[in-house]
Amino acid sequence: MEKTRKSNKRLQTAKALSQVVAEYYQECLAAKKTGKPVGWMPPMNGAIEIFYAMDLQPVFPENWSPVCAAFGLTPGNFEISEGMGYSRDLCGYLRNIIGYINGPISDDTFPLGGLPEPDIILSPGGGCVPVMKIFHALERRFPDARVLTSDLPQVAVEDIQEHHIDYAVAQIHRLIEFLTHTTGHKLDPDRLAEVVRLSDQACALWDEIMGFRKVIPAPFSAAEMGIMFVMVTRQGTRTAVDFLGQVLAEVKERAANGIGVIEDEKIRLFWDNIPLWYNMGVFNYVEKMNGVVVAETYSAAWSLRLDTVNPIRALALKSLMSYPLVSCVSIKKRREMVIKACREYQIDGVILHRNKSCVPITLGQMDIKKELEQTLDIPSVIIDADHMDDRNFSTAQFQTRMDAFMETLHERKTARNT
Amino acid sequence: MVKPAVLPFAQALDDHPATLSEMVTSGRKALGYFCHYTPVELIHACGFIPVRISGGPGRLEKATNLVPDFICPYMKRGLERALEGDYRFLSGIVQGYSCDAACGVTNIWADNIQGELFHILPLPYEDSADSRHYLLAEFQHLINKLSDLGGNYTDLTLSHSLEIYNRIRNHILHFYQLRHQGKLPLTAKELWLVVQAGFVSPPETYLNLLDRLDAELDNLPPLSRNGAPILISGSVIESPDILEFLENRGGRIVADDLCSGMRSAATSTSMSGSPMENLMDRHFKRFPCPTRSRAEDRFPLIHQLIEQSGAKGVVFMFQKFCTPHLSDFPFLSGQLKAIHIPSVVIELDEMSQSDEQTGTRLEGLFEIIQD
Repeated sequence: MEKTRKSNKRLQTAKALSQVVAEYYQECLAAKKTGKPVGWMPPMNGAIEIFYAMDLQPVFPENWSPVCAAFGLTPGNFEISEGMGYSRDLCGYLRNIIGYINGPISDDTFPLGGLPEPDIILSPGGGCVPVMKIFHALERRFPDARVLTSDLPQVAVEDIQEHHIDYAVAQIHRLIEFLTHTTGHKLDPDRLAEVVRLSDQACALWDEIMGFRKVIPAPFSAAEMGIMFVMVTRQGTRTAVDFLGQVLAEVKERAANGIGVIEDEKIRLFWDNIPLWYNMGVFNYVEKMNGVVVAETYSAAWSLRLDTVNPIRALALKSLMSYPLVSCVSIKKRREMVIKACREYQIDGVILHRNKSCVPITLGQMDIKKELEQTLDIPSVIIDADHMDDRNFSTAQFQTRMDAFMETLHERKTARNT
Repeated sequence: MVKPAVLPFAQALDDHPATLSEMVTSGRKALGYFCHYTPVELIHACGFIPVRISGGPGRLEKATNLVPDFICPYMKRGLERALEGDYRFLSGIVQGYSCDAACGVTNIWADNIQGELFHILPLPYEDSADSRHYLLAEFQHLINKLSDLGGNYTDLTLSHSLEIYNRIRNHILHFYQLRHQGKLPLTAKELWLVVQAGFVSPPETYLNLLDRLDAELDNLPPLSRNGAPILISGSVIESPDILEFLENRGGRIVADDLCSGMRSAATSTSMSGSPMENLMDRHFKRFPCPTRSRAEDRFPLIHQLIEQSGAKGVVFMFQKFCTPHLSDFPFLSGQLKAIHIPSVVIELDEMSQSDEQTGTRLEGLFEIIQD
């Protein structure tokens, strides 16, 4: 197996994703050319819906990093940021985007045309520290952009109180006021309601699509997780709903006809932490041993339904919950979520990606491991790697650990069936 | 050897597990914290003893089963000590959200070590009417939790706590001011002992020690003013060895921007409003930490420290894997270079760092400064 490798995809609609991706980045570049304000922001919060509702163009630098990884462009970006003094111990998203904005951003020949420079920066207080620091670097690099420092309580999902929601609601109003003042675009409440309805529809479709992975054999695996792109960049748009609708139709059909990822699915696996964006092929690696990765923690961040009756409050709640749910802010809730998923998806084994580039998601994994063993008697394996930097990934080590793990799982399964 | 005037602080530091355990046995409760963004005044006002968790240099065994290698040694060692039973006197942790690792380790601690209260305080980043309104609610939420633990809060008790901590901070800031002026008769190691003792002592006891030391300062012999004047910037220094090492290699620490140093005391709390307003005011106006601020906001303050103290170089002493500090370093070192202040980075691991390679790099810096 190569160190960097694209995954083999089975879904026809997932293959159509490249078109959706290309169109999104074309739209971003076109916005800049036509004078539509472009705002750079972190993902997993309610700002995206506000942007689409106000006819502004959202851009997600964090999401650009997986795109760079998929095109094999991260080493060049790392070289630039590390040359500036950014330590290799820092998150790969941070090093990649800082390298990109201080290097090839002005290169028109960059894949997908690259990113348009921001007119607006939503600089987060809240979320993880690397993302906050990415945005500080963006402010430095684009001094002409108008900056709003947003504020969001970092509170465990199970501890959210009314005053947290009130504050998050106040922050959404502050964002709207800032955007109105900065761009002259006004927020039409009916348009916002429509965007939030579309966003919720996308979440519902996402849930339904993921639900079909409970079917044995699973109609698709984590190798197709690129479909998450629409949840990151297109929430609140018809594009996301239409695309997910197509995915759902195909997944439903595959499930109804018993078409799995592989012919003889024997081992069902769960993946914890962010995938290796430069090597989505690792998900295919287990297939030769009759294994399929049928569920993962990361996709749960997009499962939050929105209360369409109260759009602003819904966006406030989404902003409060998305990041804690998959990180060490809500270890307890995350653990419960993993246990529940392992039951529902009939998981045989769990792969814990100990991710050098993501401390918040990696912290708590050992407690999850313990709980899996104690509550469900499900074994797990730790894979040391990095979601962005392939220098922190050893193919040989991955294969050795996975081979041994899969062998164990097969033995357990055989013993249980006899 | 430390001066006799500093011995009570060294003693308090050494004895704190026994002292606190004894107090807990007699009915008091102690709550731990990692980061000084935790409102210790509020914990104290409810009748509890706030104790800063320390790791200190040493090996890791049990903690490696719970956390990855790539978080800072401070967190790993703190957890290791807790797993070894060193923090049995704590009833839990109240942690002001600063870095991701501190949040995660607090939650892991809660899952693996007994305690009654584990609370992460989601603090606002921006100062506005909305954020103050929110912070007030968040403090009230904490008071409720502390009350459930047996605490008794009143505005009067908070006022009293603010006053005690203010007096403590004023003493510490006075020592730093003297150091900036070259008049502090304490070595870097001695000042480290004085400050660290405050993190693990009941504030009333600590204040008495500080009162006595302050009164004695004039009688202590002045320090030699040889050596390259240096400012140290970073988070937590867990062992004074690295400071001694630096001074033995030809440096003279004249100022610091450390979480375990000056930043923990700066700034004093205004006493002009209601106790709760004063507490909130300190949160928003304190000397910022990179976990919650831009490097652009920190640099002018570091520059001011350099000017006040006459530092000619900066040693960045980072806990290994410290994201907030490592992220700010390229900007800060660039700004320092622009004002002709050379700098060097030392990353501290579990065993601290005072090897030959570090010594050579420090000497290189000191030579540049003294040329």
